[in-house]
Amino acid sequence: MATFGGALVALVAISALLAPWLSPHDPLEQNVLLRLAAPTAEFPLGNDSFGRDVLSRILWGGRVSLYVSTSAVLIAIVIGGALGILAGYIGGLFDRVVMGAMDVLLSFPTLVMGLLVVAMLGPTVGNLILAITLTAVAPFARIARAPTLTIKERDFVEAGRALGFSNLRIMVVHILPNVIDDVLVMAALWLATAIRTEASLSFIGLGVRPPTATWGGMIREGFENILDSPWLAIFPSIAILIVMLGLNMVGDGLRDTSDPRLRHE
Amino acid sequence: MTALLEVRNLVKTFAVRRGFMGGDRATVHALSDVSFTVEQGEAFGLVGESGCGKSTAGRAILRLIEADSGRVLFNGENVHDADARQLRRLRRRMQIVFQDPYSSLNPRRTIGRTLGEPMRVHGLGSPREIAARVRAVLAEVGMPSDAADKYPHEFSGGQRQRIGIARALVLEPELIVADEPVSALDVSIQAQILVLLRGLQERRRLGFVFISHDLGVVRHFCRTVAVMYLGRIVEQGRVPQIFDEPLHPYTRALRAASPVPDPKARVIMTRLEGEVASALAPPRGCHFHPRCPHAMPVCRETYPPWVQVAADRGVACHLYPAPAAPT
Amino acid sequence: MNSAPALAVEALTTEFRIEGRWHAAVRDVSFAVTRNETLALVGESGCGKSITALSIMGLVPKANGRIKSGRVVLDGRDLVGLPEAQMEKVRGGAIAMIFQEPMTSLNPVLPVGFQIQETLRYHTSLAPAQARARALELLSHVKIPSAARRFGDYPHQFSGGMRQRVMIAMALACNPRILLADEPTTALDVTIQAQVLALLAELKSEYGMAMLFITHNLGVVASIADRVAVMYAGDIIEMASVDALFARPTHPYTEALLSSIPRVDRHAGDLKPIAGQVPPITSMPQGCRYADRCPLRVAQCATMPPLVALADDATHRARCWVRAGGAALQ
Repeated sequence: MATFGGALVALVAISALLAPWLSPHDPLEQNVLLRLAAPTAEFPLGNDSFGRDVLSRILWGGRVSLYVSTSAVLIAIVIGGALGILAGYIGGLFDRVVMGAMDVLLSFPTLVMGLLVVAMLGPTVGNLILAITLTAVAPFARIARAPTLTIKERDFVEAGRALGFSNLRIMVVHILPNVIDDVLVMAALWLATAIRTEASLSFIGLGVRPPTATWGGMIREGFENILDSPWLAIFPSIAILIVMLGLNMVGDGLRDTSDPRLRHE
Repeated sequence: MTALLEVRNLVKTFAVRRGFMGGDRATVHALSDVSFTVEQGEAFGLVGESGCGKSTAGRAILRLIEADSGRVLFNGENVHDADARQLRRLRRRMQIVFQDPYSSLNPRRTIGRTLGEPMRVHGLGSPREIAARVRAVLAEVGMPSDAADKYPHEFSGGQRQRIGIARALVLEPELIVADEPVSALDVSIQAQILVLLRGLQERRRLGFVFISHDLGVVRHFCRTVAVMYLGRIVEQGRVPQIFDEPLHPYTRALRAASPVPDPKARVIMTRLEGEVASALAPPRGCHFHPRCPHAMPVCRETYPPWVQVAADRGVACHLYPAPAAPT
Repeated sequence: MNSAPALAVEALTTEFRIEGRWHAAVRDVSFAVTRNETLALVGESGCGKSITALSIMGLVPKANGRIKSGRVVLDGRDLVGLPEAQMEKVRGGAIAMIFQEPMTSLNPVLPVGFQIQETLRYHTSLAPAQARARALELLSHVKIPSAARRFGDYPHQFSGGMRQRVMIAMALACNPRILLADEPTTALDVTIQAQVLALLAELKSEYGMAMLFITHNLGVVASIADRVAVMYAGDIIEMASVDALFARPTHPYTEALLSSIPRVDRHAGDLKPIAGQVPPITSMPQGCRYADRCPLRVAQCATMPPLVALADDATHRARCWVRAGGAALQ
């Protein structure tokens, strides 16, 4: 299951990366004569309301989606993971303050956070990444904190202290590798959420500005012609579906393999 | 000659929260006025049942737990007053071996990295020297040198315990605190590890604080033993005497209750009524008086003073009052 | 023997599937326990003693384990192969079992009195009020102080020793013919262990139960057993009365085990550890499984010795060519 999901994700990722070479047409090239044309041999997925090639726009849109979501999740892992391990290891007041802040962040639905950031700071790619990162930090902090709490009680951590290791070393060398498994599972699942969030924000017009191709933006534009040319909204939706499905399968697969291994200890 | 380890009046309490939302606060008196001395190269035993404070004492010695008050002198140096740099230096000379072989090694690191890490952290040699040391210490504990490239889960409990011991040896300590080092092992593996530890002690002149609930193991390994009950040492002395002629009623009960592989010894097994009192609310006076067959009125009132009944023998029990001071 | 055994295990073999092949964890094990008798099953981890108990109770994990052959006879009935519905009636009824870790055997969210009561209601026809009264009686019988007050307490409110007593009360509720005790005192403090062992001995006599006591601690065996069966790598390698076993350990493993135990009643001598390890279950040798570690090994040990009685004591049996014969030695 997980390998199938991985294959799906890889497929989408590779096609996005190779978009400049794979796309048959320029995604921004408008062609008034082909407005809302149905799929043909030359334009396998049809043309949108500006006559642009849907297939090319999907390939290029994938780049934006993957770039934004991957960046956001990576940053969230680093910041959230560090906060979680620190909070779990140090404990006490620091732990309560940090986790309190995380709780505040968690109370914002992803979309609302996105709205707030983009509305206040402007709809740039950077702000989009910021918005998604802000919502992802808290779950990663939590997922890193939980195993930290158990692992710091294990004898090998106490052995490290007895051997004179600094707290930093213990956190990085001993606790972190034992926490990574859970974080990776969450990473796969959150990538899916991030992609969905980016698409949602683009859909409501707060994402990357047109004419750049984004999946959410394409669905938005497709909605205006949903009755006559449904493929304009359907194809980008399928793209999102494929990649989210793949990521979820990968996440589930990771979760299944990491659990028995941990129990084996 | 300075004693290897001198523990004086160690006190440690823990605050615990009980009740549904943790509203009810209470204090656990884990250690109350614990004092003992370990000579160079001596094996000193700490025995007692759960809750007696022996593990807490072991960790307080190494300053893995901060004591509330009292002194721990390692070769004359005060452990609890040491600053960070001094503590790091001190840490090299006293080490710990744990009970649970399945929790004492980082599952994600190879044995070689686990054993080499302390030396790298303290800057003790080039990578090649460290690798050689790792091989040497593995051989010393009876493990093949190719163990260095393997992970903990590839080894049995007894083997992991050997690796844990190797890790404690890597920095060439003078004292090892062994917290129930064989309790989690099978009988025949226990014997292997005990023989290993004895050999190490003799060859390296290692001092041990050997914590255990198993009197047979302590009798075999230790020269001196202190019996603990609810955070206090109730009796202390040389090993054969303590077990052959125990003075304190608790020591007697512990000795009598310890199963011996001899059916004829069955008859002697007496029963001690009652549960171990909780360290949350130790009884007033002598902690043991509720269960003691010899309890007297004074036992309910005052805690018995420590009396040296012989040069190397002491007990805290009203049955053995201090000799009257000469007027 | 003056009475039919309460439980007779005949040629029991239980195996597990590991990496596609079946391996015997318990091989051709036979013993009987009579009323008012305690048989200790002793051995180190992996010897098969716990699997034997699980096989008797019909609790071998079905995912990768099975009883390959043999009989477990209780009251003339073979329990092997009994349908689960009937086995459920037997468990807790005619056969009771207590385990090492009472916290996992007691339901943490139900009061202890209630749990005993439910056992009674399931196995007998007592009305609720009668079951409650009997449960209360049992709690005081196992010497739980202030039993009436503690009837409604939850397992976590009891100490380890007290929880074990509650387990014993539950086990005795239906007057079992035989009690299986799997390391019941291993997790307890020494003085508490002594109390629980004494309690078990008293109750055993009083109820006239048979008891199969599983442990790795030879000291505990000496304290509580009438007869002993020593297991190694799935076989019973020695069986004798407790006095005979300790006075005259015959099988080299038994002998080596006794010399490797540090004793509190003897001056510290040299411990003689047994070199080597138990062979892994996936690569057991064809002959005597202890041969690799045995100083007395001879050529014939390449074939499995039978369990035979010693020449001068019919009740003392050992599985060793050298020490117990069994066929003409070369």
